[in-house]
Amino acid sequence: MQRQGEDFMGLIDEDEALIAAALKGSAYAWEKLVKRYESKIYNHGLRLTGNSSDAMDLMQEVFLGVYRNLHRFRGDAKFSSWIFRIAHNKAVDMNRRKRLMTASPKFSEEDDGDEFEKFPGKTNLEPENRLGNQQQNLRVLKMLKELSSDQRSIVELKVFQSLTFDEIAELQDISANTAKTRFYSALKKLKVVSEEQNVLS
Amino acid sequence: MSCPKTHYLLQEYFSEDLSEVARNELDRHLAGCVHCNAELESVLLAQQDLQQWQEQSVPHWDRGLELFRQEHRVERPVSRFWLSWQWLPTAASLAMLCVLLFNVSVVSNDSGFSVSFAGSSASGTDLNARLAEFEQAQRLEMQQLVTRVESRQDSNNVQLLQAVMEQTQQSTADSFDQMYAYFEQQRLLDLQDMRAGYEQLVDSDYETIRSLQQLVNYVGYQSDIR
Repeated sequence: MQRQGEDFMGLIDEDEALIAAALKGSAYAWEKLVKRYESKIYNHGLRLTGNSSDAMDLMQEVFLGVYRNLHRFRGDAKFSSWIFRIAHNKAVDMNRRKRLMTASPKFSEEDDGDEFEKFPGKTNLEPENRLGNQQQNLRVLKMLKELSSDQRSIVELKVFQSLTFDEIAELQDISANTAKTRFYSALKKLKVVSEEQNVLS
Repeated sequence: MSCPKTHYLLQEYFSEDLSEVARNELDRHLAGCVHCNAELESVLLAQQDLQQWQEQSVPHWDRGLELFRQEHRVERPVSRFWLSWQWLPTAASLAMLCVLLFNVSVVSNDSGFSVSFAGSSASGTDLNARLAEFEQAQRLEMQQLVTRVESRQDSNNVQLLQAVMEQTQQSTADSFDQMYAYFEQQRLLDLQDMRAGYEQLVDSDYETIRSLQQLVNYVGYQSDIR
C-alpha cells in the first residue's frame, strides 16, 4: 500500500489539475484523465468478471459515474481511491444485476467456460502482448473463477489493489475480521485450484 | 495430522496491523510447526500465481468523449449581420432565374432606360429608323463585298486556267515521248521475231532441198541398177 501510495504522489497534483480543467469543459483534460486510469479499471473488471465484454461494460459505467460525479470530488481522498470506490460499487451493482438476470445465486460457478471464450486474449489482444501474457492471464482467470464473487472481490482488493483489511472492511461494509477470514478461505481455495492446475500442466 | 492453530495464525499472517509481539510469536510458531509452514508456503504459492497477471491493454473505446463534447458544447457566437443577410444569395439567384425565363432586355438610350420582356419592342418608330439605317449599311457592305469577290474570282480563274494548260502541255509531251519509246521497242521486237521466222523458214527450205537431193540420188541410183 505504501509503495503504491508513493507511486501516486507525483500524479496527484496533475490529477487535480486535469479534473479542474475537465470541469471547465476541456475534452483534452478529460481524455487524459480517462487514459490514466482506464487500464487499471479495465484489468480490475477483467479479473472480477472474467471476460472482456463485461470488463468493458464495467469500465464504461465507472467512467460515466466518474463523469457524473466529478464535481463532487473534493480532493480530501486520492482520486485513485475515489475512482476505485466507484469501480467497486459498479461491480457490486453489475453482479447483482447478473444474478437477477440469470436467477442463479452463484453465476460464476454455473459458467461452463463460455466466459473464457470471450477472453480478449483469444481475439482482440494487441499483437505485442498476444503471446506473452495470454496463458498467464488465462490461468489467473481460471483460478479466480473458482471463487465466490465476495471472495474474488476481496482477493482483487487485497492482492491487486493492495488495500489493507481495514480499507476493505470499510469499502465492503464488513468487519476487518470477516475480511481476513474471507481472504484466507479464498487463498485456501486458490491453493487447491493452483495445485490442480500444476498437476494438469 | 494437522495443527489446530493453522487457521487462525495464517489468517493473521496477512494482516498489516499485527503488533510486533504477535508477529514474533507467529514467526516462532511457523519456524517450529511443519503443518503451518507447509500450509503457508502453498498459500503463498497460490498468491504468487495470481500475481503473474500482466496488464492487458484496453480495447478501443471513445472514452466518453462523445458525451463530454455533447454536454460541454460551447455555442459559437454567430454574427447577427450574417445571419440577417443569409437570404441574399437565394434572392439573387431567384432574380437571375426570372431574367432568364422572361427574356428581359434592358435598353439604355438618350431618353433613358427601357425594359422589355420576351423581346417585344418598346418603341416602334425608333426601331424602324434604326432598322432602315442598318439595312442601308448592310446593302453597301454587301455590294463592296460582291465586287471584291468577283475581281478575286476572275484572277483566280485566269491563274487556274494557266496552270491547267501548262500541266496539260507538259503531260502531252511526256506521253508522246513514252509512246514513241513504246513503238520503237515494239518495232525492234517485231524485227527480231521476223528474223527468227525467216531463219526458221530458210532452215526448213534447206532441209527440203536436201531431202529432194536424196530422193534424186536414190531415184538415179535405182535407174542405174535397171
